[in-house]
Amino acid sequence: MKFSYNWLRELVPGADAVPTDLSRLITMRTAECEGVEAAGVLLDRACAALIQSVEPIANTHNVKAVVDAGRYGTRTVVCGAPNCRPGMVAAYVPIGSKVLYGVVSDGMLASGAELGISRDHSGILELDVQAGAPLPGCVPDSIIEIDNKSITNRPDLWGHLGMGREVAAILARKLEDPVRLDLLPQGAAAIDVRIEDTSLCPRYSALVFDGITVAPSPLWLQYRLNAIGLNSINNVVDMTNYVMSELAQPMHAFDAGLIQGDAIFVRPAHSGERFRALNGEEYTLDPSNLVIADARGPIGLAGVIGGMDTAIGSSTKRVVLESANFQASSIRKTSAAIKLRTDASMRFEKAQDPMNTVRGLARAMELLRDLSPGARVVGGVADHKNELTRPSPIELPVDWLQRKLGRAIDSGEVRDILERLEFGVSEPRRGVFLVNVPSWRATKDITLKDDLVEEVGRMVGYDSIEPQAPLVRAAVPPSNPARKFQHDARNLFVDLGFTEVYNYSFLSEDCVRAFGLDPAQHIRVINPIASDQALIRTSLVPGIWRNITENLKHRDAFRLFEVGLEIHKQSDGLPDEIPHLTAAIYDRHGNGEAGLFELKRAAECLMPDAQACPAQAASFEHPTRAAEVLWRGEKAGRLFELRPSLVEVGRAAILDLDLRAVERLAGTEKKYVPIRRFPSSAFDVSVIAGEREQAGKLQSLVASLAGSLLESIQYLRHYSGPPLAEGQKSVSFRLTAGSAERTLSSEEVGEMRARIIEGMRALGYELRV
Amino acid sequence: MLEQRIRELEAAFLARISSAQSSEELEAARLAAFGRKDGAFNQISKEMPRLEPEERKRVGMLLNSAKQSLERALEARKEREAEAALEARLDGEWIDLTLPASGARRGHLHPITQIQRELEDLFVSLGFTVLDGPEVETEYHNFDALNIPPDHPARDMQDTFWLEGGNLLRTHTSPVQIRGMERLGPPLRMIAPGRAFRNEAVDASHEHTFYQLEGMMVDRDVSVAHLLYFMKTLLTAVFGREVTVRLRPGYFPFVEPGFELDIRCLICGGDGCAVCKQSGWVELLPCGLVNPNVLRMSGIDPEEWNGFAFGLGLTRLVMMRYGIDDIRWLQSGDLRFLEQF
Repeated sequence: MKFSYNWLRELVPGADAVPTDLSRLITMRTAECEGVEAAGVLLDRACAALIQSVEPIANTHNVKAVVDAGRYGTRTVVCGAPNCRPGMVAAYVPIGSKVLYGVVSDGMLASGAELGISRDHSGILELDVQAGAPLPGCVPDSIIEIDNKSITNRPDLWGHLGMGREVAAILARKLEDPVRLDLLPQGAAAIDVRIEDTSLCPRYSALVFDGITVAPSPLWLQYRLNAIGLNSINNVVDMTNYVMSELAQPMHAFDAGLIQGDAIFVRPAHSGERFRALNGEEYTLDPSNLVIADARGPIGLAGVIGGMDTAIGSSTKRVVLESANFQASSIRKTSAAIKLRTDASMRFEKAQDPMNTVRGLARAMELLRDLSPGARVVGGVADHKNELTRPSPIELPVDWLQRKLGRAIDSGEVRDILERLEFGVSEPRRGVFLVNVPSWRATKDITLKDDLVEEVGRMVGYDSIEPQAPLVRAAVPPSNPARKFQHDARNLFVDLGFTEVYNYSFLSEDCVRAFGLDPAQHIRVINPIASDQALIRTSLVPGIWRNITENLKHRDAFRLFEVGLEIHKQSDGLPDEIPHLTAAIYDRHGNGEAGLFELKRAAECLMPDAQACPAQAASFEHPTRAAEVLWRGEKAGRLFELRPSLVEVGRAAILDLDLRAVERLAGTEKKYVPIRRFPSSAFDVSVIAGEREQAGKLQSLVASLAGSLLESIQYLRHYSGPPLAEGQKSVSFRLTAGSAERTLSSEEVGEMRARIIEGMRALGYELRV
Repeated sequence: MLEQRIRELEAAFLARISSAQSSEELEAARLAAFGRKDGAFNQISKEMPRLEPEERKRVGMLLNSAKQSLERALEARKEREAEAALEARLDGEWIDLTLPASGARRGHLHPITQIQRELEDLFVSLGFTVLDGPEVETEYHNFDALNIPPDHPARDMQDTFWLEGGNLLRTHTSPVQIRGMERLGPPLRMIAPGRAFRNEAVDASHEHTFYQLEGMMVDRDVSVAHLLYFMKTLLTAVFGREVTVRLRPGYFPFVEPGFELDIRCLICGGDGCAVCKQSGWVELLPCGLVNPNVLRMSGIDPEEWNGFAFGLGLTRLVMMRYGIDDIRWLQSGDLRFLEQF
């Protein structure tokens, strides 16, 4: 929302802060100011000039014009505007002289756009004032831009008067209300208004004018609207925009001559009803849209936009001026549904003050008197409304206020601040104020005493509050073991050389498919940033794959990991969010084996004695290098090499762990086992097996045959080559036998060994002894 | 006569031992002196029986002392030889310690993880518990329970990713406040760091995925002054020095009064840059006193309890702390960036 500094100063005479200071004060006390921009910078030097003669400049479309520029004397300027002609009064600006097309051009004739008065740059601005006179009502201005988000809760700040009230309160000045309610005519209205549901339209006020002459607005009005970002249309429409920008009350003017019948209906749209709006679009409506209708059909989409069929045009003579109040959520819904946000809908959806409608009409009357001389009011004000309830006053104990702010504050100051903001304040008991909320703050903004804490706090300045440590009971905060576990896992991987990455939660359908996942099993974003970011990830692997392909452009070898959530659809309720740790080792050189075993060790560091059990490879996994990671008999994750075709060059091993499962399995307590006092005996066995037999499987076979005296078994090495037959290998293990009670006899050890040899033979394995 | 020979032999062998050039020469000297058959001292021992007992005793002592002196000399020489041999071997083992270290280098935690942990530690030390909440939230927890009913214009402030089935990606970590109040009740001190999402176009200073740290304290008499104390403690800890801050009114339906806490831009020092949108200030921390409606909806009596809440932008904080001028690096997964932290 843009505010004109000059306009604010008209409403708050004597407001002496310069624009940058004022904008800072507004930011600190009221709403966030995003910047201050100069408007109409040339206007302090511009003056009306009579074009005395015009002479074409050969081979250009420019002319040499001699002008009588009042106090600047007679000047010669080069002008390229097609409308530059002798006898015309234009705006001259002395911007210095330069040679153009061989002619010394001393200053310029300016267009409306160059002056900041309008957006018109098709030609120079034509004036109807005396040569030499300044441009009436047009002086340089500063535009203060306020962040719309910061005034979401302040319907009153969507007009200059509301901001003026803040400025007055901040600077301790007086606000001048431009509205003269006494101007409003009495008597029966000239238009009949029928509201079907007053909860959707709490108030509808209207006034009929006749004798209107539709014409361009005077320069001052064009300039003022243009400076705050509104287009000038004509005097009648501009007047409604002016009132809206001043009082925050949106208005609409209908051409009364084009209204069918003699009544205006405010009603929900009929299903499928069509409406042609002022923006040239045609909308198909439904009963959730509130319309303003005549006997034939909709002539306005309530609170959003007017209709083309009753638009003000050059031939308009009689006007129905609407100044209404609509239910905020209804306007917001309609505006969202048809994807059209207008200056009116933005204001109405903030919950405007129903008291403001007639004020708008009064202000309009005064403005129209000047803008369309000869216009006259017909009949009295049509004013249909709900019983307007006054909000009940709020009790504000000053000591409570002080406790909330954490600062002492004089009750006189509290009262003064509230009164400057036009709250009604009385003190029925000592130390307790009874506060009446003004109507423009009462629609949604202020309902609780807590809301008054803000009013007082912001005006005394939050910077005046000294930080203070609270005195509370000491307590050990409840722990969060899952989070601690994740942090520990992160530390472990960092210590092992992995760098943490963060990836997005969004994936494309193609990517999901490439990783063997079903798009239908993914939660879909209804309004994604881009169509390739429409699915919520159920795996961290695609993100890690992207990290690998990006980083291998710069690195020969690297390790990285992510801790993040897999989000899985559930049939009802919230989805299942499972924390995963996904780590990768990439190496441009080598055959990929080292990475897999280093990841396996990393997994073991987190899960001592975890096992990798070879498993059917998924499409994105290396067909013979994929395993389930099991820990304490349960699935904890997956270890695999990425299918080499997915990596441009080199090999990438990936470990994907379900941290929730791992944390649960890790939960068992540790218990001390006494160190054995009796020596143990070790011996080696070598099993001859097929080349692709799993050493892990052989080891558990051997271990299960060894019996209860086996202390430990350890893989030593494997070997293939002569004298073994082609396709065979020998896998050696070291077994340690012992007992907690005694030293084993050599017979006992020998028996164990014999049992293993026989048992393995029975299973079809030869042993090298 | 014999004594004279012993002295001469001792001197001669001592000279031979010390001048020996190799362990072979040394061994030869040893054999020449002590050899069982031809050793010089053996020869003398053989002559001993001829002597008078008195003389024999004297010569015997002299002989022993000469033998011992030679043995010591031999021993010392051998030790020196062994030492020299070891030295020579070790000298051959020269390595260049300026060569690079081996093994994996230590990895790096993501800068947001690092700052988040520091803050977790800080708040835990102040008696706050760390809570987690889901990234996919219900509309109720993300909006309604935070005093943002449907069709409230404040919903426009947070461009929401809506999901099939009516849930949404949380637009802030604030719903964890609600879950915390529901689960733990008052008094309550909690923080909730995590990922949040807003549907906005990505550029140097905007991301659709960002990180926040939500904080809340509910107790008997919580004031703006208390809130300020925690915010100041937090920022001093994060930046390790005083930073210039300002507290100004801000509107968030779940707090009343609500504030924006800005810090002077640490990238440009306040002169204006892309990160601070040329304003010199960076919005870091929306905060305020918990709106009584929010307490009431979570089953807490606002007449008895009140509190403050804040939502710290971890992403912004990290950018400020390290002078990162483009938000997109944080989710880039680019090791050239991540390894700097």
